[in-house]
Amino acid sequence: MSTNTFFLQVIATDKVFFKGMCQKLIIPLLDGEKAVLLHHEDMVIAVTMGEMRLMDDNDQWIHGVVGEGFVQIVNNRVTLLVDTAERPEDIDERRAQEARERAEEQLRQSKSIQEHSHFEASLARSLARLRLKHKYEI
Amino acid sequence: MANAREIQSRINSVKSTMKITNAMYTISSSKLRKARKSLTDTEPYFYALQRVISRILRHTPDIDDPYFDTRPDIKPENRKIGYLVVTADKGLAGAYNHNVFKLAQEQIDKGGSPMLFVVGELGQQYFTKKGIPVEQDFRYTVQDPNMNRARIIEEQIVDYFLSGKLDEVYIIYTRMVNAMKMETEFEQLLPLPKSSFNLNLPIDVHLEEITMKPSPAAVIDAIVPNYIAGFIYGGLVESYSSEQNSRMMAMQAATKSAQDMLDELAITYNRVRQAAITQEITEVISGAKAQKNKKKKV
Repeated sequence: MSTNTFFLQVIATDKVFFKGMCQKLIIPLLDGEKAVLLHHEDMVIAVTMGEMRLMDDNDQWIHGVVGEGFVQIVNNRVTLLVDTAERPEDIDERRAQEARERAEEQLRQSKSIQEHSHFEASLARSLARLRLKHKYEI
Repeated sequence: MANAREIQSRINSVKSTMKITNAMYTISSSKLRKARKSLTDTEPYFYALQRVISRILRHTPDIDDPYFDTRPDIKPENRKIGYLVVTADKGLAGAYNHNVFKLAQEQIDKGGSPMLFVVGELGQQYFTKKGIPVEQDFRYTVQDPNMNRARIIEEQIVDYFLSGKLDEVYIIYTRMVNAMKMETEFEQLLPLPKSSFNLNLPIDVHLEEITMKPSPAAVIDAIVPNYIAGFIYGGLVESYSSEQNSRMMAMQAATKSAQDMLDELAITYNRVRQAAITQEITEVISGAKAQKNKKKKV
């Protein structure tokens, strides 16, 4: 068990995804990825749809796909607030695939800019789910 | 006194009504259990979000963002005020809907030009009938509140606010204080009320600098819609739980008073039946006596 840890909470709208000590946290940003280690500078960062990884105090990697949100780092305590957070094993591949096809179809027919960005977001969500699923399951 | 057959048919009608109220009680109690679960699941997110937002705002006092713009140059009588009102789809829930209507009416009477966004079928009908402008494209059911619906509602409302179609947005929902008590709440959604986040902070508290990446504006833009969607979701879930709870209590009371009526009717029915029997016996006896007297005379 490592002692180089900080307290991390990953909270989604419908559940607490992770709560406990953590060594490394890697989050998806608009312009790439960011890793958070012990004694990180106090910061608030906007998080985007994508894959999140964290290493808990037993050197175990935990993977998940997160939705939009943000992370707050204050006094060595990290809070990641996102709208969704799922483990690869909880992702329903067929549903994600269907969502992807639906989003692609709607994206082609979307009329307004608002609609377009809406479906683009759903497409990004389904793609992120599928990517994570394929990476760790099969 | 009514005759036995009339009372019998009344007993039957009360019995069948009681079956319905009892069934509705069972349904809402099982729905309440589900709603309670989703309520406890979202609470951590909801409260953490409020905590974090208040902290960010405390550390960055001079945020000049459209979400905080109170538009002070618009006079109170010209302000376009949006109300997001959460009602039920159906009645028969005690005073639940009525309390929401009352609070909404009070706020609307305060002035400005109101625009209502009503969630729930009953509220739609009520306010349309009253002649208060209700956004007609805004049709969402209150059944099974989920994050997706809250997000769609949030998108629509934020769009109205940012494009200047609304100057203020409030939400009216019902909070479940405990199993016996529900309170109708009125909260400001937009522009974000800065004062409510500034909890009384001692002056000598050290405010540490927080860096915001990519920029404070970008972070605020990412957080605020989430916050509002989260708030709306919380409001929807609270309201849904309150609705089921009110209905459950109303139906329980209805079942109980139906039972009381049945008890009373059973007593009346027995009395009436007994009276009829007594009368019949009296008639038979007096008839028999008359016959006896006749025989004696002969």
